[in-house]
Amino acid sequence: MNKHQRQSFLGPNSESILRSLRIAIVGVGGGGSHVAQQLAHIGAGNILLLDHDRVEDTNLNRLVGATEEDVKRNALKVEIAKRLIRAIDSRTDVTGFDCLWQNAADVLHDCDVIFGCVDQFTERKQLEIAARRYLTPYIDIGMDVHEAAGRFIIAGQTYLSMPGQPCMSCLGLLPDEAIAREAAEYGAAGSRPQVIWPNGILASLAVGLMMQLVTPWFPGHNVTALLEYDGNSQTVTRSLKLDLLDEIRCPHFCSLQDLGDPFLWS
Amino acid sequence: MKIIFKLTEVLLQRVKEDLRRPHPFAFERVGFISSRSGRIPPNGWVILGYDYHPVDDEDYVPCASVGALIGPGAMRKALQVAYNEPLSMVHVHSHDHRGTPAFSKVDLRESARFVPNVWNVRPNLPHAAIVLSEDSLCGFGWEPGSQRRIPIGDFTIVGVPLRIIRKNT
Repeated sequence: MNKHQRQSFLGPNSESILRSLRIAIVGVGGGGSHVAQQLAHIGAGNILLLDHDRVEDTNLNRLVGATEEDVKRNALKVEIAKRLIRAIDSRTDVTGFDCLWQNAADVLHDCDVIFGCVDQFTERKQLEIAARRYLTPYIDIGMDVHEAAGRFIIAGQTYLSMPGQPCMSCLGLLPDEAIAREAAEYGAAGSRPQVIWPNGILASLAVGLMMQLVTPWFPGHNVTALLEYDGNSQTVTRSLKLDLLDEIRCPHFCSLQDLGDPFLWS
Repeated sequence: MKIIFKLTEVLLQRVKEDLRRPHPFAFERVGFISSRSGRIPPNGWVILGYDYHPVDDEDYVPCASVGALIGPGAMRKALQVAYNEPLSMVHVHSHDHRGTPAFSKVDLRESARFVPNVWNVRPNLPHAAIVLSEDSLCGFGWEPGSQRRIPIGDFTIVGVPLRIIRKNT
């Protein structure tokens, strides 16, 4: 009896495919910790974790694997995720980078898939650029709780960014005003509302998109996917934006300058 | 030393369609994939396919002893591409079978001739030669400054599904 027997419908080689994958998770907080846990369960062989942050008391409402003891000793989030993954599957090769991901970006160059689980629009934009430069599928999750007319709205999305296909800018996921606001508030982001269950849903969708990509279990998967989550009605729908962009070539990543290392030939 | 070659499924299909076309006298076709590249730690390279450049019909040379022999015109045009932009060049041809392809003696000889020529215009970039089969591929890369050919360890065909062919596993 193999522990992955019940996912064998993913294909006769699915276990070895998953074992050989090199997957990066950028940001192992509320969303990324769910992704890390699921990748360990499905049998991903090589996982890179990038996050410079340390766990705090206010993270315990959503950081999978974190304990009060971790808060007391101000543990690194990559340490917690590493421990979680190894506890599930000791064979997984896990490497943690406890620095700003931009300072270790070269380790992303040979990744097969990159998960972006970061809070800031600017970082998400940078991550998509980094992934597209190396023709790497990028899966982004984003969640927010915001107040409108005295009520709270939970919303988010999971997006698969495939080279050559519409990008986050094409889909309006990186509003200029949000990026400008972040720049203006640099260093004073404050603490935004975050809860565990929407992160869990969005992370599950993200892992599902990766599985469709690497071990498709039925034909006809979409090349690009944007799944929108409405946390108030508890529904997930495929975004209609994709239909509008059907057959349109992404104008943001189409030139030679968008590919490879820009410093190599300067 | 690790070398990875990545290209999109769309580009791979363009290459295959061209290489499948019959030639008036050559038994097979040859082409070039212009590529960007980047470093992978600690000392590897990733070569990223960008565009395909078929060899024009008139640039083949009649030769009964090999599948395809390309003349100086084909080489000059390929070098011009690398001269215009900082690009790695990948020599590509196809073997008509399923399963893992392999380089013949002639393939090795021709690719060993091709790479020093590209280094004349782009000496600081890696270059490569690959062979396709109907469902797989193999290849060698040359890093700048080294005459030693290095087997390409991983191929990634970026599409749905994402196909990753690892040569060392």
